[in-house]
Amino acid sequence: MPAIGLFVLLAAAILLPKGSEGALRMASPDRTRVDQMRSLVAGLDKGAFVLVDFDPDIGTYPEIRGAVRALFDDLAARDASVAVVSFTPEGRALAVAELARLERLRAAGAGILQPLDLGFVAGSEAGLVRAVEIMVPASASGPIADSVRAGGGGIGAFALAVIVSGGDLGARSWVEQVGPRLPDLPMAAIAPTFLEPELAPYLRSGQLRALLATLREGTAYAESVPGGDAPRDRPIAPLPMLVGMLVALGALAAAAFAGAAGQMSPPAAPERGA
Amino acid sequence: MNGLLAADLSGNIGTWVAALTTIAVWSYLVGGRTLFRHLQHLLAGMGTGYLALIALREVLVPRLVLPLVNDPADNPLLLLALIGCAVLAGAAWLPRRVVAPVAAVMVGTTAAFALGGAVVGTLLPQVAGALLRPSAGMSGLIDGLVALAITILVLVAFLRGTPEGRLTGRAATLGRWLLIGGIGGWLGFLLVSRLALLVDRLGYLLGDWLGMIR
Repeated sequence: MPAIGLFVLLAAAILLPKGSEGALRMASPDRTRVDQMRSLVAGLDKGAFVLVDFDPDIGTYPEIRGAVRALFDDLAARDASVAVVSFTPEGRALAVAELARLERLRAAGAGILQPLDLGFVAGSEAGLVRAVEIMVPASASGPIADSVRAGGGGIGAFALAVIVSGGDLGARSWVEQVGPRLPDLPMAAIAPTFLEPELAPYLRSGQLRALLATLREGTAYAESVPGGDAPRDRPIAPLPMLVGMLVALGALAAAAFAGAAGQMSPPAAPERGA
Repeated sequence: MNGLLAADLSGNIGTWVAALTTIAVWSYLVGGRTLFRHLQHLLAGMGTGYLALIALREVLVPRLVLPLVNDPADNPLLLLALIGCAVLAGAAWLPRRVVAPVAAVMVGTTAAFALGGAVVGTLLPQVAGALLRPSAGMSGLIDGLVALAITILVLVAFLRGTPEGRLTGRAATLGRWLLIGGIGGWLGFLLVSRLALLVDRLGYLLGDWLGMIR
């Protein structure tokens, strides 16, 4: 069973002690994007309002979870006033879980971020456009909610928007719908690797001010942010990823050879009597 | 402490359920179709229930029903929205001429937002960003020209029917190969995403559940 073999290989690679990874590092040595994200957060005024759009996809969230939690630590270190909103039901489910985690840690005595929960905004892109004008629900209370209301009550009241992407409505929708309406709002994104080709052009054109869109960049960012009171996740180790990639390459090569051999083999002889 | 011996009961049960469900899904790889199908049904049922709950709790009741009940005079548009919701909910039984305008407004609005955003937010800024500028230097110029050539070749590949002329035919073939190369590259990115998920899940089982990773 090839699948069982892959699982055993990956499990063995995960269980190997840390020292056995040698020179393998998951964190990207190219710090350009990490520096962009860090300087964007470092450039915030103390207590600045930051909106985190939490719309990842359940299937890819584990890849960016470390970077997202490091972002919360980074924002906490800047004393940022953070609000969390979701425009997809899937993103809302993950946001609720993440907010509950922060609440549990705070209850345990950790001095960490206490974001304002702006809940779920329905309407997909139309809802996003409406949120430019008004977003804070009537039920939201507290100093952050009051200050955002005083600033207009919409996305424009924030000094920075960080979009946690992966679902149907992500950084691209923000760039397309919010960007033209609020050109002065800096936007940054954290996205899983498969969105890198889609989002990289927006970073080059300046529509996104920072982007972490690969596992290696996310790991490098998480390593660069000093740990707060909250315990950090176990990072995805480089060795099992390397093993998995080699297995995938092997499967690809085997399929290519099998295809080539199939093309080269002589056509089957016609059956007798045909 | 791990999932086998967690400090709190909820963590213990949650970890066990997550671990056993993960293993049950993976049983598909060794031919366990029945269990996998039951879990698919479970996921679909839970997803539908969750969507219904979020629609009721976070949208319909607080943003539609309550404002209408508390202050109907100030929310005439919400009344229209309520009628629209009722029409769409009863689409299977209502005449087509009643449902069609509501559905058309909904689809048209969604398409208008998507198309408008794509033009103003992506197409125009990206075209502006791709313009060849002498200030970009030689490397920028080469990059731009290569991008332009690839774009033209891929667009030629999309020509409908058999391209006429040898040159156009070769350009279309090259464009198709470039397209396949692009899709292959994107699949590589997708592979990394899925592999990371698998490694994370294995790490969860070995670490959080069995406590084999410190």
